[in-house]
Amino acid sequence: MSALTWGHRYLMCPPTHFGVLYEINPWMHAEVAVDLDRARTQWEGLVATLRQAGATVEVVEPDPIAPDMVFTANAGIVNRRAGAAPQFIPSHFRFAERQPETEIFASWFAAQGFEVDRLPVELAHEGAGDALPFGNGLLSGYRFRSDLPATTSLSRLTGAPVRAIELVDERLYHVDITFCPLDDRRALCAPMGWDAYGRKVVEALVPEPLWLTDEETLGFCANSVVVGSTVVMPATPVRVGRILEGWGFDVVTCDVSEFLKAGGGCRCLTLSLDVSLGT
Amino acid sequence: MKLGGQTDVVPAVETFEVEGHIVDSLILAKVLDLILDAAADYRLLEVDIGKTSTDTSRAVIEITAVDDATIGRLAEQLQVHGVNPVGAEDAELVAADLDGVLPAGFYSTTNLPAEVRLDGHWVPVEHPEMDCGLVVTVDGPDSSDRTVRTLPMHRVRVGDRIVVGNQGVRVQAPQPSRGLSAFEFMDSEVSSEKPKGLQVRQVADKVRAAREAGSSVLAVCGPAVIHTGGGPDVARLVRGGWIQALFAGNGFATHDMESNVLGTSLGVSVAEGAPTEGGHSNHMRVINEVRRHGSIAASIEAGFVTGGVMYECVRAGVPFVLGGSIRDDGPLPDTMANVVEAADRMRELVPGVAVALMLATTLHAIATGNILPAGVETFCADINQAVVTKLADRGSHQAHGIVTDVGLFVRQLADELG
Repeated sequence: MSALTWGHRYLMCPPTHFGVLYEINPWMHAEVAVDLDRARTQWEGLVATLRQAGATVEVVEPDPIAPDMVFTANAGIVNRRAGAAPQFIPSHFRFAERQPETEIFASWFAAQGFEVDRLPVELAHEGAGDALPFGNGLLSGYRFRSDLPATTSLSRLTGAPVRAIELVDERLYHVDITFCPLDDRRALCAPMGWDAYGRKVVEALVPEPLWLTDEETLGFCANSVVVGSTVVMPATPVRVGRILEGWGFDVVTCDVSEFLKAGGGCRCLTLSLDVSLGT
Repeated sequence: MKLGGQTDVVPAVETFEVEGHIVDSLILAKVLDLILDAAADYRLLEVDIGKTSTDTSRAVIEITAVDDATIGRLAEQLQVHGVNPVGAEDAELVAADLDGVLPAGFYSTTNLPAEVRLDGHWVPVEHPEMDCGLVVTVDGPDSSDRTVRTLPMHRVRVGDRIVVGNQGVRVQAPQPSRGLSAFEFMDSEVSSEKPKGLQVRQVADKVRAAREAGSSVLAVCGPAVIHTGGGPDVARLVRGGWIQALFAGNGFATHDMESNVLGTSLGVSVAEGAPTEGGHSNHMRVINEVRRHGSIAASIEAGFVTGGVMYECVRAGVPFVLGGSIRDDGPLPDTMANVVEAADRMRELVPGVAVALMLATTLHAIATGNILPAGVETFCADINQAVVTKLADRGSHQAHGIVTDVGLFVRQLADELG
């Protein structure tokens, strides 16, 4: 058993312009007001928690045209490569509301010295929100926000295998609400979100899954951030917390309730900058 | 049930492609399951499995469904899983530059139902026949005004628009039978060791079903039918309305009439099985008299021939084609010495045929097999199992063989059908 090789360095975006201004998932209700002050406090709380767990947090300047920029997990795919410039593959968003984010993030990464590779324009893929590293490659969700053929392009661009599983519950519209790698053998797994084939793929991929109940899943507990042996969760069901602690993890619950109004938890608010695929 | 090549509903077929980590993501398994769940079927035309875990895999899947609408719905469903249609192209047409000669590279047909893609639409081929070209005729501005039919080489005329190459042509593979009738389980091999009574009943059922569906039954007869005493039974079948067309040669018609007029078949008494004195010339005398009358019909009209298969055909208005050969005696005035014309006349009678009975004839069975669409149920009764094998070897895979004495076979068949 060894800890994740990634998850020590994150990109985040402060919720300066955040709000539920449109509805593109079942959690979003435009009539629900976001308490921006509270959101800011919660966001800063998450930054502090991550730093305390030993992670570095970098910040991208928010843009008023992109209120969901705060969910940096959807910026794209990061891939640090040995002997080459780090790679960034910007997301292609399904909904027009989020499409302006593509060039904002592409510019930021290019300015940081990343080589920016592009997916075919006609294919949607929402970045790390729909593709998490596990084993020798990525586990990617498709249907609601990402197109299956995009995973083939991702595999070509990164040189890593991308296993695609079909998401079947609209409330669990990204794979990062259903799956959270904990270390090289364990992961939080929410079968509720996948079809029967996807479940089999995960069973074959993850040696020691922690299967989440439907209730635990809908509480967004898989949308957690893992920094070494610390698991930062938006909500911690008692059963899950006990198992994680039994496995030697420190579990920290971090209130991000203002962001859950938009259907995003701790993982959605972060983008791991130290992922290295194909190694 | 498939009855008659012309009336078959040609299922829709489309080719799709899926690429990616389709094996370890179980996408391929899911896609194939979805196809079957939609009551469609598939063939994997190509599967390239990636060698390493980073290599992607690719599959080309041919999907068959009852109609285009089903394929369309399935295609929408499959698109989500990265499955896309492989771009089909229109068939290439080249105008013939010589009468009786197909353009170089012409598409050579099989006897299976086929479709040709013209202006993006799949047009079914009329009258499937093996070893022909495909000619496209345009009757108007719409794509529905185009027809495609098989065209034997000798009928090509300058300017005919002929399909060249394989592009834009798709052939329907024979559908595997779901049921297990006597013929399906017996078709593992052509053998004499089969329950004949059961086989005859199966043939009778097919004949009955064809007639009930308004389709025709074709009999193709060799002289052995008469030699073995089966003439009266085939005559019974014609009289009973079970046969709508007869293909045979000079010999069959001659011996049929010889047995009626003189009681012998090639000089041998049909009733007693013994040679008759001077019998070797009997068939020549009959041919000579029929020639004197000018035709078989005229000799029947004049009362020279008073029974038998040819008699019943003329009486019932059942069309017959007597194809000639180089060794024919006489020949009879109805025998067509020009075999190309004979084959064309046979072609005219094929549409509407759902069942073909090949009775103790090798040459006429193969000649008929060449012009029948694969959808015609073909039964080949012969004492020699090599005939069935030859027929199948020449592409008539639909032929079922019954290795038996043809005289006994037709008697039982006529008894079954009443």
